[in-house]
Order: sequence, then structure tokens, then C-alpha cells
Amino acid sequence: MPRLARAILWFAVAALGAVAFGILALVRGETISAAWLVIAAVCTYAVAFRFYSRFIATRVFALDPRRATPAERLSNGRDFVPTNKWVLFGHHFAAIAGAGPLVGPVLAAQFGFLPGTLWLVIGVVLGGAVQDFTILCCSIRRNGKSLGQMAREEINPVAGMTTMVAVLSIMIILLAVLALIVVNALKASPWGLFTIACTIPIALLMGWWMRVWRPGKVGEASGVGAVLLILALVGGGWVASHPIGAAFTHSGVALTWMMVAYGFVASVLPVWMLLAPRDYLSTFLKITTIVVLALAILILLPPLKMPALTPFATLGEGPVFAGKIFPFAFITIACGSISGFHALVSSGTTPKMLAHEPDARLIGYGGMLMESFVGVMAMIAACTLEPGVYFAMNTTPAALAGAADVLKTAGFVVTPDQMQALAAQMGEQTLIARTGGAPSLAVGMAHIFSSVTGALGGKTATALWYHFAIMFEALFILTTIDAGTRVGRFMLQEILGRLWPRFGETSWYPSIVLSSAAVVAGWGYFLYQGVVDPLGGINSLWPLFGIANQLLALVALCVATTIIIKMGKPRYAWVTIAPLVWLTAITMTAGWQKVFSADPKLGFLAHAASLAGSADPRAPRLIFNDHLNAVMALGFMAVVALLLVVSLREWWLILSRRKAATLTETPFVESAYAR
Amino acid sequence: MPDRDGRRRQEALKDSLPVAVGGGRGWRRILRRLVGAPDYEAYVEHCRKVGHPPRMTEREFVNEFFAAKGKGVRCC
Repeated sequence: MPRLARAILWFAVAALGAVAFGILALVRGETISAAWLVIAAVCTYAVAFRFYSRFIATRVFALDPRRATPAERLSNGRDFVPTNKWVLFGHHFAAIAGAGPLVGPVLAAQFGFLPGTLWLVIGVVLGGAVQDFTILCCSIRRNGKSLGQMAREEINPVAGMTTMVAVLSIMIILLAVLALIVVNALKASPWGLFTIACTIPIALLMGWWMRVWRPGKVGEASGVGAVLLILALVGGGWVASHPIGAAFTHSGVALTWMMVAYGFVASVLPVWMLLAPRDYLSTFLKITTIVVLALAILILLPPLKMPALTPFATLGEGPVFAGKIFPFAFITIACGSISGFHALVSSGTTPKMLAHEPDARLIGYGGMLMESFVGVMAMIAACTLEPGVYFAMNTTPAALAGAADVLKTAGFVVTPDQMQALAAQMGEQTLIARTGGAPSLAVGMAHIFSSVTGALGGKTATALWYHFAIMFEALFILTTIDAGTRVGRFMLQEILGRLWPRFGETSWYPSIVLSSAAVVAGWGYFLYQGVVDPLGGINSLWPLFGIANQLLALVALCVATTIIIKMGKPRYAWVTIAPLVWLTAITMTAGWQKVFSADPKLGFLAHAASLAGSADPRAPRLIFNDHLNAVMALGFMAVVALLLVVSLREWWLILSRRKAATLTETPFVESAYAR
Repeated sequence: MPDRDGRRRQEALKDSLPVAVGGGRGWRRILRRLVGAPDYEAYVEHCRKVGHPPRMTEREFVNEFFAAKGKGVRCC
């Protein structure tokens, strides 16, 4: 294409995106089409990918097609395998995208669709995608080393230890929060619980199929698994309307114990039995569902019923979670904008499979843009609900009563009859106070899917779609829970193995059992606390998870900045320093407010103080929980501060030439792929 | 311009490279790599090109693959 035509094309894309943003920000009518949201996001992604990611690839890291990657140099036919870039894109995307980008935006919709969407779109192009991409670049130049190793070698052992602590604590809180979402989604829902329970025998069958009966035939086993899963989904509807259904109707506390037992068993059993088959099943399901959801949204372009901004944006007393838009909108949406967890994937399997250095741009930067788009779709699904329904679903009765005046003034009201009718339509007993984000996303998705099937002339089958969405989320949350418990177990074994080498043997059974029990007890405690807390556990735990996840992103950005400075390119260090500064502001403000805010709904200490002298028999335990959460939040803040000081000192030493910048890149080897 | 020996070495190296997946056996292979399934054929091909016989049977390979799986993280 001639130069001028290209310039005109990109100018048009940028202008279209700007117009879409203008409409989203300025139009204050009854409803607005989701098309504007999609256009604004896609145009921004296109411009950012074309210009900003290219700038990082060519100027900052100078990615070189003639330089052999670890996959080529260390090729062993197993973990180091040069892989086609589109295949690796899919693999990387499947590893980074989970329930996070779906849940965060649904919760943040309480502020209206605009704040969350802006953070998803701007946060990803300047923060999240930059983090994933730069860490991938750093790792491929260092034989595919992990984030922890790089932090230790590039900054110092303190940073290495920080990474370990951060990863383990994030894992514990993340697992608790995700488990809480599943518990809230399956509470008193026989249909959902039956379907999810069926996935366990299905996984066992698949495991036996692909390891014992027909080794390595993952495709066959997954096909069989998928068919059985659909049968379980349809069967759930029958179970729910049958007296047997009572056996699958449980309270939150009972479900908590089931989750804990499941997590323990999954961590102790060999990986091929339960974990690997579920992993495949949920990967297939995830890719298909996300593609179908994207198509459905693009075809329907549903109207957004939630306003651009709700009164809760500035009041700071939102019933879904407490706190003002700054910093809590940015804490609530982590995955989809910037998620520290991705740095572990970018420095894990992906760098070992990258065939050409320049492919890192599509995979690292592009993969994260794709995840952000999933977040935007979740936002759309949540905002197509009537605001009254959204708030009734996502708040506990106490919080709903507290916010009743604001909701009434804003016109976000819904009658009990309407809620009952909606529940009946979805095949549920009730949809009031189904917090955690998953049920409201499922209702939104069910609306979208059923209007597509309705428009195609089929039956709308709303209840089936609703339970499909619930199963879809619960399945890949459970996949994260079993994999996460296991990874946490390995990490604990590694740490304790330094004190007593025998404990570090990952196949020694007493060690497996003890460390699994310790990890499960860790997240099980927070889960239990979230289930029994009358003030809605999810709204105090989710911010803690957000803070912890952003902390890991801080570690990653510090490592990337250090490496950019050591490469002799401090003039480009702003690429990672800009998101680093923003994240520091967010985590520090959020941490401070969670601990010291005078509002009992927000501050842990104020909440504890408000319970002092209460006659409620649960009060002492709740006060203890508040103190524990406060200590956790303060601990995270201390770690952030320490890491920043350590990194700043290192940068200053290098820049003032008091210390030689020794670059630890593996030496250049010419790639045989280069012509 | 590399000398003739250099070029020959370069060509020999190119031959010994594992085929970047996707060039191999079409869709089945792409799908396997996409979801992170064991790919014994890729391993056999790698061994052939490097010039040693495969050190593992398919069953051993699959067992080892599953034992190594589950140690990597996946995201929220």
C-alpha cells in the first residue's frame, strides 16, 4: 500500500476510535448501543498494536529475526519446541485468560460502564500488554528464565524473595476469592451443582482414556468429555425439577467444605487423573465460548442499560463493593487491564516455544489485547442487564437496604415479582443476592445467547444457556483451583525443602499430603470467612486479591525497567516506569484505605471497631478476620515499598555509574531460520 | 557472503531443525500444540533430526509429559 493510503487508513482508524469514545462519554440518553464500546476498544487496540508495540519491539528491545530463540537453541522435542506464531498465540491466550477478566468488569459495572471500559482499554495498551510483552522479551533473551530467577539475578536476592512471597500469597487469596465465586454461584442451585459434580467422573474417565487406554489421545478423550458434559448440562435441568434435586441443594458452608475437600484431593492425586483432563476440557470450552460470545455480541450489538456513570462512582458507597472509583475501579479490574500473574506465563512455557524473536510482539502484546477484549465483552454482558436487576443480584440484603435511597433516586429499582419471574426463567430458585459476579454474567450471557438462538428461529432455551454460562465459569475456576493448589504445594515444598531436604522431594507422600493440606487450609480459611461474613465476603476479599495481583505486576515492571536500563536504554525506561508509577499509586492508596478508612464498610480497622461490644456471637471471629486482613494489606504495602526502594537504588547505582551494568543476556547465536 | 563451508554448515543446521509446528501434520498437530497436549510425533521427529534414536516409548513419553504438567502456572 502506498505510504499516503496507509497514513489515511490509520488516521481513519484513530478518528473512528475517538468518535466512539466521544459518544460513550457524552451521550446521556436512555440506552446506548454496545457497538460504540466495541468500536472504541478495537480501534484503540489496532492503533496501539501497530504503533506502540512496534516501537517497543524495534526501539526498546530491538527484536532480531536473525537471533536464535531458546526454542531453537535448546530444542528437545518436549518443552523447548519452536512453534508457529498463531498456534503459540492460542496457547498463550488460553494460559492467561481465565475467570478474572470475566468477573472483574462485572463487579466494576456498579460505577457504570464508562470507568471500567476506559481502564480496560487504556490500562491494557499502556500497562498490561507492555508488562506481558517486555517480560516475554526479557525471558527469551535469558533461556526462558522465570520471573523469580530474573528478579533475583537482575535486581537482587531480596527482589527474588519478594517474588516468591508475592506469588504464594496471591495464589492463596486468588484461590479463596475464586472459590467464593463458585460457592455463591452454586448455592441452592441443584442444576448447577449437579452439572459441576458430573465433571469429576467425566475427568476421571478422560484421564484413564488418554493415559492408560489410548496414551496421548487428548483429542478423542476431550471429544468424549465434551459430549458427556453436554449430557450433564441437560440432565441437570431434569435433576432440578425432580425430588433427587434436594441432594444437590446445599448451603454456602456445606459447599465450602466440598471445595476444600476437592482442592485437597486434586492436589494429592497424580496430575493425569483429574487435573490434566479438566484442563483440556476447560481450554476447549473456553476458546469456543469466548469466540461464540464475541460473535453473538458483534451480531446483536445489544443496548447498554447501565448508565455511563452511576452515583456510586463518586459517593464511594457502592453496594457491590465499597470505595470510590479511585483506586477501587482499578483494583477490581486487574485481569483484562494489567495482571501480574501473566508475567509468570510470559516467563514460563511461552518463551520456551517462541520460534522467532519478532513473534513476541503478536504473542506478548497481542495476546493481552485479546484478553482485554474478553473483559470488554464481560462488561457489555453485565451492562445489558437492567441496573435494578444488576444491583439486586450483586448485593447482600443489608448492603441493598443501605443503598436503597441512592438506587431509588437513580431509578435502579426492581420489584420482588420481577426478580422471581427472572429466576423462574433461568431455572433458579432465586437470583437475589447472588454475589460474586458469575450469576449476573451468566444472566447477561443467557440473554445474549438466547436472543441469538431465538433470532435463528430456534427455541430461546434461556435456562439452558444460563446454566451453560454458570458451568463454563465454574469449570474454569475449578481448573484454576486445582492447578493453583498444586502449584502452591510445589512452592511450599520448595521453600520448606531448604530447611529439611526430604520435604522438598515433590513425590514423597508425607510431604505431598502435609503441604497440600497447608495450602488448602490457607485458602479454605479465607473462603470460609468470605462465606460466613454477613457484610458480603467478596467485597472485602476481592480488593485484597486485586492489591496482591498488582503487587506481582509491580515486581514484573521493576524487573523489566532494570533490564531496559542495563541494556543502556534508560531513555526508553518510561515505557515500564509509567505503568509502574500508576500501579504504585493504586496499590498504596487502596491498601491504605482498606486498612485505615473510617468507614466500616471499607476499612478493616473501622469495621472491627464497629463490632466491638456487639452482642452478635460471631463478632469476635469477625474482628479477628478484620485484623488478619489489615495485617495482610499492610504486609503487601511493606513489600511494595521495599521492592521499590531496592529497585530505585539499583537504577541509581547503574545510572550514576557507581556500578557496572552487566547484562546477563545469552550471547547472540545466528538463527538457522534466518535466510 | 559466507564461504562455501560456512554455507554448507548452515544448510546442515537448517536440516536438523525441528519443524516449527503447523508445518507438520496439519490440524491435528496444531490443535494438540494449542491446548498443550503431548506430541510424541514431534519428539520422534526431533530425535531423528538430531540423530539419535528416541529414548522413550510413546507410553513413557506420555507418562513423563503428564508428570511434568501441572507445575506451570495458569492465570486467573
